[in-house]
Amino acid sequence: MSSSYPLAWKNISVFVVVGLFALGYVAQIRFDAWQFYSPSRINTTYNVYIEPQPLSSQTAKLASLGATEFMADYYWLTLIQYYGGGTPNGKYRKLAELFNTVTDLSPKFATAYQNGLLILPGEGFVDQAIALGKKGQQNLPDSWEMPYYTGLVYHIYKKDYVSAAKEFQKAADLPGAPPITKLFVAIYYNQADQRQIAYGIFKTIYDTTDDTYIKDRAAKYVGHLEMLFSLQDAVTTFHQKFGRNPKSLNELVDKKIISEIPVSPLGRNFVLDPKSGQVNDPVKS
Amino acid sequence: MLKTLWVIAHNTFRETIRDRILYSLIGFSILVIATSLLAASVSLGQDIRVIQSFGLTALLVFLLLITIFIGTQLVFREVERKTIYLVLSKPVKREVFYLGKFLGLALTIAVATAIMGAVFLALLAYKTKAFSWPALSAIGFMLMEAWLLTAIGMLFGSFTSPIASAIYTFCLAIIGHSSTSILTISQKSQPFLKYTLQGVYYVFPNLEKFNLRNEIIYNLTPQSPQVTAVILYFAAYTAALLLAGMAILKRDEF
Repeated sequence: MSSSYPLAWKNISVFVVVGLFALGYVAQIRFDAWQFYSPSRINTTYNVYIEPQPLSSQTAKLASLGATEFMADYYWLTLIQYYGGGTPNGKYRKLAELFNTVTDLSPKFATAYQNGLLILPGEGFVDQAIALGKKGQQNLPDSWEMPYYTGLVYHIYKKDYVSAAKEFQKAADLPGAPPITKLFVAIYYNQADQRQIAYGIFKTIYDTTDDTYIKDRAAKYVGHLEMLFSLQDAVTTFHQKFGRNPKSLNELVDKKIISEIPVSPLGRNFVLDPKSGQVNDPVKS
Repeated sequence: MLKTLWVIAHNTFRETIRDRILYSLIGFSILVIATSLLAASVSLGQDIRVIQSFGLTALLVFLLLITIFIGTQLVFREVERKTIYLVLSKPVKREVFYLGKFLGLALTIAVATAIMGAVFLALLAYKTKAFSWPALSAIGFMLMEAWLLTAIGMLFGSFTSPIASAIYTFCLAIIGHSSTSILTISQKSQPFLKYTLQGVYYVFPNLEKFNLRNEIIYNLTPQSPQVTAVILYFAAYTAALLLAGMAILKRDEF
């Protein structure tokens, strides 16, 4: 009896422990159910969105204790999450700052510059993008991509074709630059159709980059411009057929010149100027 | 004397390699290194870069933890448990005892580095389909840093409590990794602060010399003058610390 007593206790204590775990499990389920079904008592619709608050580049360098590339990658991941997650402010206010911090911490991070030069201008940071491009040219003097991508920003967003030509000239002089870059410089000086040049620039990026994201982004631009050209061709066909410009793009569909108005992969709208017959694609400001 | 040294080193190795804290730290570090795969998957095609920077930083942090937690306790534990009497009652010089302890722990740290490094390199090789020699050299430099910190930890451990010496060693690790920033700040400072900071820069261990983690992202292998200077620095600094530790242990009365 004396030996079975502690054994019995042992059995009971095992049951107690198991029982307590089971009770904990039940409590957990009940809590989750309560939280799920009961109306929210705290208004969580506001103030839950917090923008990234990157440290200044100097502080971040100091805090990294020498692991600057690690810190750069941390901010790189933060940037991706931030840009991919959408913003309720309507504008990615910290985007330029994040690209700057990443490239300050990792001055030779070529992909960061390239992505910055492709993304920033479209989000309204044109001057910051150009500054980033210039920084990239300083830190990566042998990279033809840096002046090339900077030239692109001058061309598309600043419509400053002289500066764009200068940047492409710099790119063309660097080793590894695609031969077509020289052609762009020549075309600039002959003042040909700027949109055709833009198409050539993006097509070259698409053909030369190994980075999947940049390739994808360039493909979107190429697709967008191809749509623009096909709409412009449709307007010309309309003019030949009816002797006037269409009033809007919808008229092209109504008159069965095209089956539908294409949706730009860049999310931009195509707008027709009925007077000149020019199809435009206004940029976000 | 060499035989005695080997016996003490071997025993220290056996003692420290059985430490549970070592296993948990190695286990956790492997988990963290593997987690870098997760971070890499959301890096917009920069996965190799992220695996390298996250993996190597994790490796260093855990190596420092192992060094600090185990290195600072080593001599103190012997004195506290009075097992040091057993050893010193034999014809064993205190210097040999101290050096043996260091070598034993250095071996344990080398094994821990080899395990963590192998996991990291395998992960990297799996991603890049090639073996990374620059990454291996970065791990080698980290090992030297850990050995240097072991000597620091043991030096503190020979005259203070383990907690105090762990804190001191940790602080020195922070100062050592801030050395580049310290030098930059000193160049922009007033004369008094400038010379003080430069003093700090030259006197305290400059652990940034062992930092190849940034270079390997760009696949840069260390150059031979760099390797020679770093090995020389490591050898001189570690020898000085060990000699100081031996002198303290020799004068101590238990």
